[in-house]
Amino acid sequence: MSGFGKEFTKGLWREIPPFRLVLGLCPTLAVTKAADNGLGMGLAVIFVLVLSNMAISAIRNLIPNKVRIACFIVVAASLVVMVELIMQAYAYPLYQKLGIFVPLIVVNCIILGRAEAFAARNGVIDSMADGLGIGLGYTVSLTFLGGLRETFGAGTLFGQAVMPAGYQPLGFMVEAPGAFICLGLLLGLMNLVSRLQGRKSPASVSELPAQCRACGSCYRS
Amino acid sequence: MREIARMIVVLSLISAVSGLLLAAVKTATRERIEEQELFYVKGPALEAVLPAHDNDPIKDRKRVSLPGGVELLVFPARTGGALTAVAFEASAQGYGGPYGLMVGFAANAEQLTGVAVTTHKETPGVGTRTMQQAFTRQFRDHPFSGLALKSAGGTIDAVSGATVSSTAAAAAAGQALALFTSGRPAILGAFQ
Repeated sequence: MSGFGKEFTKGLWREIPPFRLVLGLCPTLAVTKAADNGLGMGLAVIFVLVLSNMAISAIRNLIPNKVRIACFIVVAASLVVMVELIMQAYAYPLYQKLGIFVPLIVVNCIILGRAEAFAARNGVIDSMADGLGIGLGYTVSLTFLGGLRETFGAGTLFGQAVMPAGYQPLGFMVEAPGAFICLGLLLGLMNLVSRLQGRKSPASVSELPAQCRACGSCYRS
Repeated sequence: MREIARMIVVLSLISAVSGLLLAAVKTATRERIEEQELFYVKGPALEAVLPAHDNDPIKDRKRVSLPGGVELLVFPARTGGALTAVAFEASAQGYGGPYGLMVGFAANAEQLTGVAVTTHKETPGVGTRTMQQAFTRQFRDHPFSGLALKSAGGTIDAVSGATVSSTAAAAAAGQALALFTSGRPAILGAFQ
C-alpha cells in the first residue's frame, strides 16, 4: 500500500480516534445526542484537522522547537474560528446546536496530537492523508455513536422515525450517562473484534516503532 | 540570542498571517451571518412578541435614529397595511453576560405586546427559566405602568432562584420602554 493510502486508512480502524486513540472524548460524549450533530462536529474536525496538519507540516522546518506548541495552537485556533464563522454563515442551525463545542475544537486533543505526533515529522501529502483519515474515522465514530443514541434515546435517526410506533424512547440514552455507557460498550466490542482477529498487543516494547516507544502511553499502565 | 529572535519572529509571523486570514474570512461572511442571525434568532423571537400580522417583519425592518443619538433596529407588524405593533431589542446585564430581549409595543395602545429572549449566557436550568412562557407571558399586553419586578414595586413575578436573570429581563424591558416612550414619534413615524 502506498504511503498516502496507509496514512489514510489507519484512521479508519487501526487508530480510529475515540475508540483506539481514546482522544477527543469531550465532544464525543457531549454532542452525540443525535446522528446529525455527530456528523456536523465530525465534518468541522475534518476541516480543521486536514488544514492544520497541512499547514503545520508545510512550516515544520521553520518552527523553533521551543515554541512549537504555541505555533500549533495559533494555527489550530485560527482554523477553528474560520470554521465557526463559515458555520454561522452557511449552517446556522448546526452552529446553534453544537454551540460551545465548535470553539472547543481548538483544545481537542486530536488536533494537537496529530500536529505533534505526525504533521511535525512528516511531509505535506502524508500529513493531509493522516488528517483526512483520522478526521473521517472521528466523523464515522461520532455519527455512529450519535445514531445509536438517537435511535434508542429518541426513536429517530437523522430526524426520521425509525422505531416501531409503540416504541418508548429510552430518554437515558440521550443524557450524559448514556454517552458513557454507549462508548464503553463500543470500546469493549471493538476490543473483542480485534481479539477475535487474532491481533495481539505487542509482546515486548522492542517490537514497537521508535516513535511509539518514546511515548508509550498506549502500552504502559 | 539568535534562537530567541528566531522564536519571536516565527511566532509573530504565524500570528500575523493567521490574523490576516481571519480578518478576511470575517469580512467575507459578515453580511451573511447577520442575515442568518436575523432569520434564526430574531425571527422566532419576533413571532413570539408580535401579534398576528401579514407582513414579513424582518424584511420590513428599518434603522431608526432616536433623538439622543441612539440607533434602533425596529421590526414592524402590519395587518392589511396598517401598523399594529413594533418590536426592537434591548439588553441588560444578566448572570453570565448580556441579556438581550426582544420587546414588542402596540402601535395604538399604551401596552407591550410581549417579550422574548434573543441572546443570553444564563445558567442552564436556572436563569434559562426566565425564557419560558410561564415567565415571559407576564409581559404579554402589559400596560406601561408597573413594568418592574414585584420586589421593585411592579407587577412581574420573578422566577425564584433566578433573581439576577429575572432582574435582567425586567431591566431590559424597562430600558426598551424608556426608549419607546421617548422616541415614540420617530419609531412609529418611520413606518407610517
